[in-house]
Amino acid sequence: MIRKNDETPIGRVVATELKPATPHQFHFWTATDTSIGIGAIVKVTGPGSRAPESGRTVYGVVTDGFAYSDLATPLHDVIGAEGDPAMAAERPTARSEIRLWTAAVLRQIPEEPLQPVPLGAVHVAGDADVAAALRMDGYLNTAQPTAIPVGLYESGGLEAPVYLDADFLLGPEAAHLNISGMSGLATKTSAVEFLLSSIFQHYPAHRGSVAAVCFNVKGPDLLFLDQAGTLDDADRRRYARLGIEPGPFERVHYFAPFKSDGVNLNTLRTHAELARTVEPLVWGLIEVLDFAEVLLNRDDIDAKADAFIDFLSDRVVRREFEDGFGGEHRVETFADLERLFRSIFDGLEMAGRGDIWRTHHIATIRKVRNRLGNVSTRCKGLVTDDGPASDLPWGRFEDRGVYVIDVANVDPLGQDLVFARVVSKLREHLERRDLGVDAVVVFVDELNKYAPADGADTYVKKMLLDISERGRYLGLVLFGAEQFRSQVHRRVVGNAGTQVFGRMDSDELATPGYQVLSPATKIKLATLPVGELMVRHPHFTQPIFVRFPRPSVLRGRDGVERFPPAADLPFADAVGLQMVRLDPRVRTNQVKDLITGHDEVDVRRALAAVRRERPTDALATFRKRLGVRVGSEPARERSSVQPLGPIAEEPY
Amino acid sequence: MNDRGWLDDLYASGVTPASFLPDASLGRQHDPDDETAAVAVEVDMVEHDDLRVHAVALQPAPAGVSFLDGIQQWKVIGYDGVQPIALAYVAAAVRRRGSDRRLATAAWAARTLLIAPTQVLGDERRGALEAAGLETVPVEVDAATQPAQVLELLRREVHRARAGLERKLGEQAVATRDAQAWLVVDGQLAVSAALAKHPRAVGVIKSHGAQFLSGRHLERALTIPAEHRTSVFRVRGGHGRSEVDSWYLRLWPWEGRDLHYGLIRLEAARNPDPGTRAPELSGWLLAERAPLAAPDARFDRLLYPIHDVEAYLRSRAPRDLLVPLASRLPQTGT
Repeated sequence: MIRKNDETPIGRVVATELKPATPHQFHFWTATDTSIGIGAIVKVTGPGSRAPESGRTVYGVVTDGFAYSDLATPLHDVIGAEGDPAMAAERPTARSEIRLWTAAVLRQIPEEPLQPVPLGAVHVAGDADVAAALRMDGYLNTAQPTAIPVGLYESGGLEAPVYLDADFLLGPEAAHLNISGMSGLATKTSAVEFLLSSIFQHYPAHRGSVAAVCFNVKGPDLLFLDQAGTLDDADRRRYARLGIEPGPFERVHYFAPFKSDGVNLNTLRTHAELARTVEPLVWGLIEVLDFAEVLLNRDDIDAKADAFIDFLSDRVVRREFEDGFGGEHRVETFADLERLFRSIFDGLEMAGRGDIWRTHHIATIRKVRNRLGNVSTRCKGLVTDDGPASDLPWGRFEDRGVYVIDVANVDPLGQDLVFARVVSKLREHLERRDLGVDAVVVFVDELNKYAPADGADTYVKKMLLDISERGRYLGLVLFGAEQFRSQVHRRVVGNAGTQVFGRMDSDELATPGYQVLSPATKIKLATLPVGELMVRHPHFTQPIFVRFPRPSVLRGRDGVERFPPAADLPFADAVGLQMVRLDPRVRTNQVKDLITGHDEVDVRRALAAVRRERPTDALATFRKRLGVRVGSEPARERSSVQPLGPIAEEPY
Repeated sequence: MNDRGWLDDLYASGVTPASFLPDASLGRQHDPDDETAAVAVEVDMVEHDDLRVHAVALQPAPAGVSFLDGIQQWKVIGYDGVQPIALAYVAAAVRRRGSDRRLATAAWAARTLLIAPTQVLGDERRGALEAAGLETVPVEVDAATQPAQVLELLRREVHRARAGLERKLGEQAVATRDAQAWLVVDGQLAVSAALAKHPRAVGVIKSHGAQFLSGRHLERALTIPAEHRTSVFRVRGGHGRSEVDSWYLRLWPWEGRDLHYGLIRLEAARNPDPGTRAPELSGWLLAERAPLAAPDARFDRLLYPIHDVEAYLRSRAPRDLLVPLASRLPQTGT
């Protein structure tokens, strides 16, 4: 491996009237068997052909390549071979050929006065040259470096580490990262895993603490970040070259909602060895009500419904509330809210006071009741009708901690809710500086789904725009990934200070967003091998190709093979497992005995209470919360009364 | 040649600036020696009693062939009175073909000359010429010699310098190269005794001004079909002054074009068995017609490797020699 710049020139700058050297672009030729290619970084040294250019050094990146011979017209080749392609290969002399390259200027030293590139010798760039060319010297070799390794620039046997500036990746100067590329081939998730690992090891202490929140939106992608993956020698060499210690993340916290049964976790990380490391994610009315806008579509949220929801939030929830018909309420759960609604409807009917309650029309109240009621149905397992919530550890985030929220199997509405609430809470805590860390990286895959370029302005899209435009001041950093960048809102991708591209689809490359790239660069992007990326960063004046090692964590599909998900447990066993997880001294049989004869709703409520309180003696608390067993008795037969007329159809 | 301070000194000494590019300096289109039919040439048929025509089968080229060619460029840079002063550049190179079928330079030489009738120049002008630091070549004239005649003398001197350089490189090449390796010379082999005797040197002549045959032999030679050759004849005398074997070879069909289209004459050292060597050499050189040397106007007779040597020499030639120092249009505003 070459680390120092080889002083033997590999080419020479040429300039003609038709192809002149300019301050931003130049052309050079090399031998036909040169090792450089598209994306290679080269250094041009003076003195060139004029004395004043002495001492000027220009760095460039190869953006295009040409090969041609002295053949004036293809017809001459046909004539020479007498029309026989086989004979063409037998010609005693090979025609003179040229490899002509076009390079875009990365940097000129001195930078002023800015002049055309001298017609000097071209060298391959060494480590120091790459650092200078990409202006990395400003944040790499300083008293307080802020360099984050992103990969290795590789060209012709040369490997040089490429660094991003933490101030421009995580703020405050610029922030956010967007990565796009074809599914399966662009290795977007792997790239983000590697980069998070790099950030955790290289984010400078003087810049504070950092954590990551990752939304696992498909399959088992991010479910094994705490498990070591398999690396080959090349990967280990790359890690060593980048100064990163390979290994799984040390502080990973998993969260997943329950399935509809309320006790089995809705995740693929349910293998017996790992199940205990997944925390339930369960929210109740209080957590959900503030995000009603996420759950209700535009047609639902008219001004009247909005006003009534605000009324509930401000005047009713978590307060002692008198319904005006003599009923006292304290609404903390969906069940409490349902009781309030019933009380209102009964009261209005009994009092014959018409259709208005506290200035809200009964139709509006019914509409809100209907929609909110549906939330706990559609997001069953995530949103609970009653019982306390189980949430992320707001205020206690760990430095270098990864918080994975598995919403892969959650209804899209639920995904939106999780995303909106988590990000909003992050923002809220970061504003108050009481999250526990100074900066949080939020990784969102399938960004085109949450912030599409077209379509309605959803709550989630507006929130993503807000993060993109203002998050860097707070330390709230968005790492977004998508297959088609052109389908993501342009302000979301445009505000990403660092843009990363894996292998791209040709159709995508034909969209206007890629017009700045040369045809050769587009071809390279369309054929990028796995593990290679094109990076744009504020310090880099041109896109740079880098190769990153495989992340040293277990890949999702490998993880599922090594830790196959467990089958759903029967209710009693699942509750027992949850209790054992909360207190290892508990025996499953003890729990099963306790819950026998109890209603499942009561059991879930008791379990949630234990989870929230985290008592020393979990079993005793569970027993206490479960209450006394009530024997069942057959329901009495009710005499029905025939209605006077047909019941009007419920309009909502 | 970038530093032209000497030129300013020359003009300051009284030389009238001029910018005249003779046609021949744009490229060596033909060999003037070939045009001189007046020189007596004797020919003997050595392969057969009569001049016959043989079909040629393509043969693979031998390994490690070298190709020799030269270029000449010159222009009149000024006049002392009516006596022209010329600046000339001549160069020659040997390029060897490797196993990758690409040519690489084995030898190169160049000369930059100031050619002038020095004995009739004024003292100051002659002093400025000598101070230029370039190789000065005098031509013999008297006061009555017309400028047009002097120009012809200058041209011959340029030609002689180029031919001398080619001969020198050629002789060095055959003296130092692997004895089994061939040297293909652009032009007559007979100009050098060493080359003319070397068993693995072959000259390729593209112009046919010199008359070696006459009558039905001439007609037969100039009308041979493509991929055919004449039988071998031995040439004595002429400019070469050395005996060589020679024969004609047609590379491309001439019908519908010109009598000389695709016709080359080959020269090789005398050989006791010309009937064996000529088919092999002809087959190989026939194969050299590809790749085509187009867009060179002489592509029908110019072998691509020779064209390559020329291109190489031109790429190393000074860029400013052929650039007119002043427009030939009349100056305005004065």
